[in-house]
Amino acid sequence: VNTFSPEGRLFQVEYAIEAIKLGSTAIGIQTSEGVVLAVEKRVTSPLIEASSIEKVFEVDDHIACAMSGLIADSRTLIDRARVEAQNHWFTYNAKMSVESVTQAVSNLALQFGDDDADPGAMSRPFGVALLFAGIDNKGPQLYHMDPSGTFIQYDAKAIGSGSEGAQQALQDTYHKSMTLKEACKSALTILKQVMEEKLNSSNVEMGTVTKEKKYHMFSKQELEDVIKDI
Amino acid sequence: MALADVCGLKTNQLKNSFLSDFGGSSTHLLDDALTSTTNFTVPYGIDPVESLKEFTNPKSDVKIHFDHGTTTLAFKFQHGVIVAVDSRATAGPSIESQTVKKVIEINPYLLGTMAGGAADCAYWERVLARQCRIYELRNKERISVAAASKLLANIVYNYKGMGLSMGTMICGWDKRGPGLYYVDSDGERMSNNIYSVGSGSVYAYGVLDSGYRYDLSVEEAIDLGRRSIYHATHRDAYSGGVVNLYHMKESGWEFISQTDVFDLHYQYKAEKEKK
Repeated sequence: VNTFSPEGRLFQVEYAIEAIKLGSTAIGIQTSEGVVLAVEKRVTSPLIEASSIEKVFEVDDHIACAMSGLIADSRTLIDRARVEAQNHWFTYNAKMSVESVTQAVSNLALQFGDDDADPGAMSRPFGVALLFAGIDNKGPQLYHMDPSGTFIQYDAKAIGSGSEGAQQALQDTYHKSMTLKEACKSALTILKQVMEEKLNSSNVEMGTVTKEKKYHMFSKQELEDVIKDI
Repeated sequence: MALADVCGLKTNQLKNSFLSDFGGSSTHLLDDALTSTTNFTVPYGIDPVESLKEFTNPKSDVKIHFDHGTTTLAFKFQHGVIVAVDSRATAGPSIESQTVKKVIEINPYLLGTMAGGAADCAYWERVLARQCRIYELRNKERISVAAASKLLANIVYNYKGMGLSMGTMICGWDKRGPGLYYVDSDGERMSNNIYSVGSGSVYAYGVLDSGYRYDLSVEEAIDLGRRSIYHATHRDAYSGGVVNLYHMKESGWEFISQTDVFDLHYQYKAEKEKK
């Protein structure tokens, strides 16, 4: 399960990355004012209570996380991120940096296998990719983490089913002097392009992390205000 | 070991921590105080219950004397909770500090007081702060005062008999209104309208009980809290310094004042003379 193939590949990890290509699209954009995360909720039935679908989470008041793939797998990772951030505060009386949180979570990624060496470990990798968005003393940052545990900092990143088209669109529209407001508008515009359903305030989730307002989840009204400008 | 012999400690068989890690997650790697805050590795060869009896027994050969002098009080009233504490730390007959912070700010809407062992209170209330924050993140709502105090009481109960010394009041405001719980290292957890903890508490209770009404105004309540601590510091040798006063409101706690008891003495004296 976790052994190398003759060509030097870890198949389980590659298969996990395939699983994410089926997940709902998530976009993250970093600006000098803060970072924005926007996710397609993918409400598959009008009977679903849309507010119960949650794909953007608070990790601490200065870090948020969006996910794509097997959402249930992300619950363990999010909780791990939260506990690590609090342990850090407990020991060092300081907020954990975005990179450190991401690194702490990535330590879980390759702890899978079917041998007796570690009973209680997972049998398969996590089938979810995460976007960590936060602000620390290095400024606003966005990190992408995949099932291999690799984490890379991005200015703008899209994950999930619409990620190919979205990533290209991000490359065209992103510029370093973007304001957070422009980034929010851009994120929703690109989501609209790649989403199958018509974008509205109930089938997307958006959150920002800024220095002043910290972690902030957009309410239905606030989403509508951004949507009407598109 | 020479030091152990001098202190009269009886060394036992190898005994590691039997407490399981609750609340926090730990990897299968090192479980030390850095990564797992709710789990202590007890030093080898020491049975805490037995060795700590030497410290609490006045007839023992061990001459280290833990002092528990302090006065802290808190009371609920219609506008929230008033928390007032002194600031003196003593070691036997010596005043070690007049500027100890005996109110621990757990988070913007929870306060804890310090009586007994300062390190015990400060450390476990910080563990409580970490636990309350994780609760908030997982449940998307603030933790109630009842739940927070229960978390602390359950944590210290695991160490019952091992020499923790902590008498704290957990104060806050949640959806049930103002909350006040007394929690101590014996595992006691109770809720009431008025509590005072410490060597000076007897004096504070006298003043507090005679002046207390649920419908006090904010100024009257602040004055009552301040006065009660002053009277305790006046008569109790182990209390003194300054009175630190906090007001717990619906929007969270507010630090009201820090007043030297020396100034309060002459202020109250002048008031008496005016009458």
